[in-house]
Amino acid sequence: MSYTNKEMQVIMIARQIKDGQRVIVGTGLPLVGASLAKRTYAPNCCLLVESGMIDGCPIEAPTSVADLRFSNGASTLGETFRYFGMQNNNLRKPLMDLGFLGGAQVDPYGNLNSTSIGDYHHPSARFSGSGGANGIATYVNTVLMMQHQKRRFVEKVDYLTSPGWIDGPDGRRKKGLPEDRGPQVVITNLGLMRFDEQTKRMYVAEYFPGVTPQEIQENTGFEIDISRAVESQPPEEECLEILRNQIDPSRLYIGKE
Amino acid sequence: MSKIMSLEAAVSTYVHDGDSICIGGCTTNRKPYALVREIIRQGRTGLYLHGAASGGDADMLIGADCCTAYINSYCANSGYTNVSRRYRKYVEEGKILFEDYSLDIHAALYHAAALGFPFIAVKHMLGSDLVDKVGISEEVRAKHPKLPPQKCKIAENPFKPGDQLCYIPVPDIDVALIHVQKAALDGTCRIEGAVFNDLDMALGARHVIISCEEIVTEQEIRREPGLNQISCIIPDAIVLAPFGAHPSQVYNYYDYDRNFLKYYDKVSREDGLYEEFLKSWVQEPADHYAYLERLGTKRLMDLRVRKGMNFTVALESEGGKA
Repeated sequence: MSYTNKEMQVIMIARQIKDGQRVIVGTGLPLVGASLAKRTYAPNCCLLVESGMIDGCPIEAPTSVADLRFSNGASTLGETFRYFGMQNNNLRKPLMDLGFLGGAQVDPYGNLNSTSIGDYHHPSARFSGSGGANGIATYVNTVLMMQHQKRRFVEKVDYLTSPGWIDGPDGRRKKGLPEDRGPQVVITNLGLMRFDEQTKRMYVAEYFPGVTPQEIQENTGFEIDISRAVESQPPEEECLEILRNQIDPSRLYIGKE
Repeated sequence: MSKIMSLEAAVSTYVHDGDSICIGGCTTNRKPYALVREIIRQGRTGLYLHGAASGGDADMLIGADCCTAYINSYCANSGYTNVSRRYRKYVEEGKILFEDYSLDIHAALYHAAALGFPFIAVKHMLGSDLVDKVGISEEVRAKHPKLPPQKCKIAENPFKPGDQLCYIPVPDIDVALIHVQKAALDGTCRIEGAVFNDLDMALGARHVIISCEEIVTEQEIRREPGLNQISCIIPDAIVLAPFGAHPSQVYNYYDYDRNFLKYYDKVSREDGLYEEFLKSWVQEPADHYAYLERLGTKRLMDLRVRKGMNFTVALESEGGKA
């Protein structure tokens, strides 16, 4: 069964979610991936959005974290600050297992830029800003979603919006950040990266079928270890069918074959 | 005593040049666009706009040159425009003072304002450029007394030696603009669906203008007081503005107007198109009802949500005949 690159990414997102986990999903691919996980690998996962809606069961894919579509079948809607309170309490009362973040640039330690390119005061490209990303990166383990390009995988980000492992194993402690939370995985259009337990530096863990580890190195703007890389399992047919027929029937997110 | 006012009178009475303001709702949900359009129509300038999850509301005030400063944590009509285009242009071209926080910080600042607290102390922003890169320097802030004197400060937790915290001053907001579903003449308001930061904004701001989908009687709204959020003593003005959040969505009432959001994405790309947009959708309509007339009855009726689903469902998609 053939599949698109976007479909592969969605499957990879879904595979990161374990049954029963509480997951902060933005919009776009993470929400599609989480919806797939809910109907396949992790039927009891609970979806959260940073506007404050808890355990939504959207029928049609929401376009924003505030979209009424997310409120369908939700447990509570509430006030935004209460959601952030739960997130801030995540160390002493762990309620949030995983958060998905995207960005324009990422460095070898998973520090993320979603603010601007170039000089902060006179940027060549300005983006929407942190949104809730900074707080998620502070308190919750994260999965980073990136397009795999040299100009996006850089030695140093132009603006550090959301902290990863800063500069190594001691980085977060030095900055006063919670030490035992941070980026776990980077999913791109080429493969899946993890962070070395000792050095906290990014390495290639999986490359998608049809992609080579060398191709990943060529599209990465810093030295990246490819010695541990293995080929990803291709998507399960059953998952692809659910994805195409139920979750994104208009192929807004997963693209046409 | 009735707090009901016309849109024109509410804005001219409570929003002044140079005020600091904040806006309720979230990205494309329950944004008080009728109030935003009226502020532009009245030509307010020098506003200090405090964000949260902003969308076209902030983008329009920026693009119509109403703002001296914009305090950002997010600005996009997500799903339609991934980075609001006027905001982006004004920042890139140095045409506005700007500062960056994150949504957590804005939610905490509005909550602290509602509690009357002077600052918050948090772990957020540590280790990031949100601390290290300052948008509006202390020297510049000194010339803008409506802004807090400093963006933030890192200091030790006084109760836990060695523990660092980020301290952020709570802004003093003059006016909160909020759109609700139901309001009574006495000022009692009911927000249906997610409240977002709106109650905190209403409690923390010196003045509050409410626009509403419908006016209900005091007896009706007080039959279930537990469902109300904003007490009668809080708002200064209640403005009746049905479809007043268009093109954003309102729980139990209407969905966002996809075509309008796409249209806004297009016109906000170019200065000339944007001027035309402001002329035909903000300046020319004599009032809110003229704006609605320009949209047309069918378009508005088609936006009404299907109860039980909370979004619009095209009949065609269900095999019905258009």
